Amino acid sequence: MSMTADAHARRQDRRPWQKRLADASEPYLYSAPALILIIVVMLVPLVVGISYAFRDIQLLNPFSGGFIGLEHFETLSKDKAFYTALKNTLWWTGASVFLQFVFGLILALLLDKPFMGRGIVQALVFLPWAVPSFLGGLNWAWLFNPVIGPLPHWLYGLGLMSQPGNILSDPQYAMWGPIIANVWWGIPFFAITLLAALQSIPRDLYEAASIDGASWFQRFWSITLPFLAPTIAITVLLRTVWVSNFADLIVVMTGGGPADRTQIVASYIFTQAFKALDFGYASAIALVLLVLLLAYSLLIILLRQTLLNKG
Amino acid sequence: MASIDIQNVKKAYGHVQVLHDIDLKIKDGEFVVLVGPSGCGKSTLLRMIAGLEGVTAGEMRIDGKRVNELHPKDRDIAMVFQSYALYPHMNVAANMSYSLKLRKAAKEKITAAVAGAASKLGLEALLDRRPRALSGGQRQRVAMGRAIVRQPKAFLFDEPLSNLDARLREQMRAEIKKMHGELKATSIYVTHDQIEAMTLADRIVAMHGGVVQQVGAPLELYDRPANMFVAGFIGSPGMNFLEATYAGGSVTLADRTVVTLPGALALDDGAKVTVGIRPEHVVLAAEGEGMAATVDLVEPTGFGIILHLSLHGLAFKVFTTDRAALSAGPTVHVAFPSTQIHVFDSSGVRANPLAPQA
Repeated sequence: MSMTADAHARRQDRRPWQKRLADASEPYLYSAPALILIIVVMLVPLVVGISYAFRDIQLLNPFSGGFIGLEHFETLSKDKAFYTALKNTLWWTGASVFLQFVFGLILALLLDKPFMGRGIVQALVFLPWAVPSFLGGLNWAWLFNPVIGPLPHWLYGLGLMSQPGNILSDPQYAMWGPIIANVWWGIPFFAITLLAALQSIPRDLYEAASIDGASWFQRFWSITLPFLAPTIAITVLLRTVWVSNFADLIVVMTGGGPADRTQIVASYIFTQAFKALDFGYASAIALVLLVLLLAYSLLIILLRQTLLNKG
Repeated sequence: MASIDIQNVKKAYGHVQVLHDIDLKIKDGEFVVLVGPSGCGKSTLLRMIAGLEGVTAGEMRIDGKRVNELHPKDRDIAMVFQSYALYPHMNVAANMSYSLKLRKAAKEKITAAVAGAASKLGLEALLDRRPRALSGGQRQRVAMGRAIVRQPKAFLFDEPLSNLDARLREQMRAEIKKMHGELKATSIYVTHDQIEAMTLADRIVAMHGGVVQQVGAPLELYDRPANMFVAGFIGSPGMNFLEATYAGGSVTLADRTVVTLPGALALDDGAKVTVGIRPEHVVLAAEGEGMAATVDLVEPTGFGIILHLSLHGLAFKVFTTDRAALSAGPTVHVAFPSTQIHVFDSSGVRANPLAPQA
């Protein structure tokens, strides 16, 4: 039965073989440019980068390059500087994202109210986001520098400092320097996205709530927050990943110092790769950071899914 | 329940005055409908009573107490919005109980109030659904439920039925009327639909251009409209208007037809007037009687027939329940019963007596 069917089909298909080949490969040819581009710019570097983590690659050692298995990871597990950097990353990311979010939300709520010249103020508020992070870092480093910047003198004048020193060189407070710069730089992101979400809330809900007897805070709590929740979840997730990967400000302002007090994992990778020129070890650290961030993202997505299902 | 007293209230946005000297006393338990075309200021007035808009001048009193400066949350009134404005992330029960929770009412009291309102509105099966899982009519009911659980001083309705289809609108209209009969709550209802106004109201307030045109019982507005605006707005199809001249107790139309009125009017002889007659009051006469008019269009509505005519070149409508009109020829003859004629002076104000004629 199938034999006759096959024979029948073969007899039917009278196209020349080139034509048949062209027809069969058509969908692959259409998608090939996109696929090749994705593979070349995304997958290849990723795989090469990951492979570095298992090889001994030191720029200054011409005999390096060989496969060494998990040796980097063994070193890493005993590397005190890495654990400090991990702890600093948590602190840096947590404080930065939290403060950016809080101030960004306050800013968005203020900008949501109509007032004279709101358009200009909105544009100005979003300026820090447009400043290159390198420039921002330099600017803040100078502001904290008692020789040329005003901040230490103001803090001294307020009695918050015993003498106008540079907090970037104070092991106890050094982390606050890049955090403050990062908060200044990152507020606009939250303000923009939260403002967009705020403006999509129907006004008559607020009117209905005030007629129902809700005070400002009760309206905020039972209308604004539930409406913002999905936006908050997604922006906080995004920012957490970005900020924990974001070494620019730290590299520019403190270089990880003093005594690794401001070293986060991302800046530690940078230091290992471009100061110690040990690309293999840097790749191993980067791989660990990647796994940690993947796990974090997965957790947040699961959390969001359960919340959505509940709702 | 409460009375609402509006005294010389004005509203202006910058230099644009949208409400002029509104004076209105709403009695305890009364159902008042504010009706008028879009932009007449009816919704603004309602929102001012709710406290959502400020009062530019004049005084607003609820139960004798001045509320001009009072925040909406302290006025103890409930409002049903055109968009329903249900809280989308709360289920039906939470939507209805939100105001009671804010007032820190006892749990049992809240449950009882919600259950009571739900059974009154047939919402028992939907209590734990979210608004987005409800149909338009169900949302409308929830919005009503949210208002009645509170037992507020007054209910405000802002075109609550506009987003429903015709059949549902009719059904909800009847339910609102029934509910008002049970609750006897002071209600102010804004609509542009004169049928809703006629059927629901104890008293209608007809508004136009930010000015109250007439206040009265529905049939009073229908039978004795105070001016041409009210005459044209109330009633469907709308009233016909014809230019005429008044002289000694009768009016002369453009084609010299003379209609003798039941009584003399306080007008000078020779005064230019406008004569109004409702389409349903026009009588189709036999040939040789009345005035000849050409038929432009015949609209059967099932219940009756609307004839669109040209009378001396002017559009003129007749409503009749006589099926014979369906086959009306190119020309018909119309006559006006003199008792059904409204006469308006040159400024559009009613010239016939406002009080019912004995």
